[in-house]
Amino acid sequence: MNLLWFVVFSVLPSGLAEDGNVAAPAARLAIERAIVNSFVPEGFIVEQADQNPPENQANPPQKPKEPSLGDLGFPTAATQPNPQEQARLDKRSHMLKMHQRLGLITIAPLVATVITGGFAGGRETSSSMRDLHAALGGLSGGLYFTTAYYSIFAPKITGTQTRGPIRLHKALAWIHGPGMVLTPILGIMAFDEKSKGEKVHGIASAHGAVGIVTAAAFGLAVVSVSFKF
Amino acid sequence: MIGLRAAQTQWQLDQSTLTYHVSHPLHQVEGVSHAARGKGICDAGECNFLIAVPVKFFDSGDSNRDLHMLQATRGAENPIVTVRTRIPESEIRPGTIHADLEIQFAGTTATFKQIIFQLAKAGDQIKLSGTIPATLSDFKIEPPSLLSIAVKNEIPVRVEMTWKRG
Repeated sequence: MNLLWFVVFSVLPSGLAEDGNVAAPAARLAIERAIVNSFVPEGFIVEQADQNPPENQANPPQKPKEPSLGDLGFPTAATQPNPQEQARLDKRSHMLKMHQRLGLITIAPLVATVITGGFAGGRETSSSMRDLHAALGGLSGGLYFTTAYYSIFAPKITGTQTRGPIRLHKALAWIHGPGMVLTPILGIMAFDEKSKGEKVHGIASAHGAVGIVTAAAFGLAVVSVSFKF
Repeated sequence: MIGLRAAQTQWQLDQSTLTYHVSHPLHQVEGVSHAARGKGICDAGECNFLIAVPVKFFDSGDSNRDLHMLQATRGAENPIVTVRTRIPESEIRPGTIHADLEIQFAGTTATFKQIIFQLAKAGDQIKLSGTIPATLSDFKIEPPSLLSIAVKNEIPVRVEMTWKRG
């Protein structure tokens, strides 16, 4: 401790010298304080010095005081660990990583389905390209709904407001989701009509357009979270 | 006997902007927090500072990314980042200061030596700015990835603070 000493014994009246009067030490201290307080320079405070010199003290000098987390005024809930919340976050991250991987894997068969769709028409009642298109469509559908499962059932974190590019990614699901249900239904209808030698007609004729819009929405959903715009 | 000693000085963090930077080939991400709190106690010519900020109050502009960040940094188990440093009181003046920092983050304590900060006086306040050269490996954080490409290990944190004498 860095101390500046100021001795005042010389100004004390002799009547207060220690002569067996039990009140004398306290009175002496009070007078000392009053005199010193009159002369305290700015930036200094008065304190009572230790009676024993530092080398005789049993305890070493204390370290300077350090602030603690409690001094900063954070609410208790903000500083306490929450293992359950961490487990929830871990599960959420794991499932969304699976969602990402499966979504990327789905791109290839989906693109192949769209490409083979351009060659799946024709007058024949049976066509290998049409069969290939149907098979790829089935594979794409299976992968798509497995991808969607991981997203839909990933734990939600309460109190979180959705912000940023993820909003577009989630909104596009309302296009490619119903599209991936409608496209195979229309495709089956179109396949049956072709197999009977009929020209594809009615609602089944929308299969191609619905499929392309669905694939485009899916592609845009992938791009929305892959690149920064 | 009575005597005089230098009065204890306290500093309070008034304003702060902490910005982390994460690099990925497809994304450059910055997350910002204004939620830090801090206190400094100066006694016998030496000042001890503590700055703390909740992990969940860093905002990168993407709520999905922020939740992944919270998970990757184990922010629910270790909700507060703390920074402790000790500086001679005589060095708290306008100019350049070198500080040793002890940072607790993601359940790990790391020490950064001789980090350079700039101090500028603004009325009765001190403005501090600098960059802490933190890395993911300093805090044993597994690097997140996007499209199977991991982010860079370096996550520098830009610090701008305004302190006032309490």
